[in-house]
Amino acid sequence: MNLLMRVAAIAMMLHITPAVVLVKRPDAVEALLPGADAYTARDVHLSDVDAHRLHVAVDWSPEDGVLTFYKGKAGSVLVGALEFVRVDTPHGPIEVAVGFTPQATVRGVIVTKATVEMKPWVLEAVAAGLTNHYQGLKPGDSPGGAAAIANQAGNLAEYIAGEVDKGVARALAAYGAFYNHVRA
Amino acid sequence: MLYDLRRAALPIKWLVTCLLATLGLSYLFGALMISLYAGFTPQRVAATYAGPEMSMRMPPETTMVVEHPITRADFAQPEVHAVDTNLLIQDTHVHVPMYGIIAAALSVVVVGLPLRRGWALGLITLLFAAPWLDFAGMWLTKFASARFAILTLIGGWAMAAGYVVVAALAVRHMWLSPERN
Repeated sequence: MNLLMRVAAIAMMLHITPAVVLVKRPDAVEALLPGADAYTARDVHLSDVDAHRLHVAVDWSPEDGVLTFYKGKAGSVLVGALEFVRVDTPHGPIEVAVGFTPQATVRGVIVTKATVEMKPWVLEAVAAGLTNHYQGLKPGDSPGGAAAIANQAGNLAEYIAGEVDKGVARALAAYGAFYNHVRA
Repeated sequence: MLYDLRRAALPIKWLVTCLLATLGLSYLFGALMISLYAGFTPQRVAATYAGPEMSMRMPPETTMVVEHPITRADFAQPEVHAVDTNLLIQDTHVHVPMYGIIAAALSVVVVGLPLRRGWALGLITLLFAAPWLDFAGMWLTKFASARFAILTLIGGWAMAAGYVVVAALAVRHMWLSPERN
């Protein structure tokens, strides 16, 4: 019986629920780069050494070794930049959009994708004010969204907030190390 | 012949009809899901299953940057739904047994139809071979060549064709044939 329960638990873990879009990317771009009317994709192809450095810093390597930053401008004025960061959890992937001001501080964070299973956890965490706690962070800071909502949301919302923290930490590390320090 | 759907009791005919209708509904939504995630062209199937594992990207000696302008509409473009090896293992584990059960159910219907032995054997073979081709195409696309994506398409269309032929023959013989009870 015990074995059966274990097998069932493993089967449940392996069967990840489908992905759902919580916020469409264009809507996230509009919110995180307000007023921008021109965009540039900045693909940073990491060398082995830099990829290793990033991995050591935040335990993460971007897909195909390429970091993509999206810059937004309103006329000739830089509005900011944003990244979409994927975090793989045992329940499936989530995607976090992290927007930066021209002063290199976090303007905002939006969870754009999750899975059917995680969607209510994300919504509860966001309703508890999770994303407000990231505003103003700068490279080198540690995001503490999960701790901040610990007394205002359930365990699963707090758990998913920890995963969002990871995404924000990755975005901060990538932005701090590679956004402006490598010239096109 | 002991088992002849033309002369089967009404509840049996109704059971088979309901089974076919249910399978047809699930196949319709299957096709819709394929259009959302993999597509119906060899290029899109290859993009879904071959993925980056087919092209071993070499990291540059030093970190380099490439910039290019994009429009807002580019953010709305659908991303390629990539199936990596782990997901393909899971898909194979989940789908193949189910396809086997569906092929067996349709084969039981075939056996109850007044078909020549060769036609019946051919149809049963098609029903089982189609999902094999479907999944063989996915695995070969991932590990051999993107050109094998065509096998997945052939397998998928063969599954649909097998279902349509069996459903049409069953409805004809059970409900429209002059020899029915």
